[in-house]
Amino acid sequence: MKLVTSIIRPDKLETVVDALDKQHIVGMTVTDVRGFGRQKGQVEHYRGGEYTIRFIPKVRLDIVVQDEDAEKVVSTIGKVARTGNIGDGKVFVVNVENAMRIRTGERGTSAL
Amino acid sequence: MSDVLIDDSSLILDTAEAAGDSASMKWVSCIIRPESLDAVKDALSQLHVVGGMMITDVRGFGRQKGSTEHYRGESYVVRFLPKVRIDIAVQAEDVEAVLSAVRSAAQSGQVGDGKAFITGIQGALRIRTGDRGASAL
Repeated sequence: MKLVTSIIRPDKLETVVDALDKQHIVGMTVTDVRGFGRQKGQVEHYRGGEYTIRFIPKVRLDIVVQDEDAEKVVSTIGKVARTGNIGDGKVFVVNVENAMRIRTGERGTSAL
Repeated sequence: MSDVLIDDSSLILDTAEAAGDSASMKWVSCIIRPESLDAVKDALSQLHVVGGMMITDVRGFGRQKGSTEHYRGESYVVRFLPKVRIDIAVQAEDVEAVLSAVRSAAQSGQVGDGKAFITGIQGALRIRTGDRGASAL
């Protein structure tokens, strides 16, 4: 099992969820987060003043899938969350050792 | 700046491995119903193996893809349901106790009770003291 954690633009969330749904990837956790990358945030202009926004609002998407589906999730997100502009986000893949469905107590991949 | 960060994380790794701790810490991430948070928190506190926990308000859905809500005669599909994520770092031998405590406190038997995921932790640092590995938990 793999945990695919992606940091994406908030306005891309619905598109990403729709695309994953088409790939039969169902089940995910969404968190509102703030972050910055190489550009260290962005400079905004408002009423003639210049403001540096250090942390930009992003959405974090956590999806746990079977090993063989991890690549599908990563490539789908990579395709539909991309605008080509700085700030599209990143995707990380982490190994998950076990899982439990709380309702039934099932373990392993059948808990997904 | 980033070089310093990389050096630091490799230090955590080395120390944990030297102490034989690298395989002995686990990260348990539980997605539960918001209303069962208090019960789960109490059940985990009684275990005495959990040094602390992190609570995050999250949204999510599973196999049922959310739920259909009715309001003033109209039905709405709620895609993301509010959930709470509890993250706990424990020693490997305590994972089963944590899972059964979470299960007994968070289980309603209805769809939407949530899931728990276990991943390995390669290093830990208590910021106040600089403790590494399992003693940082």
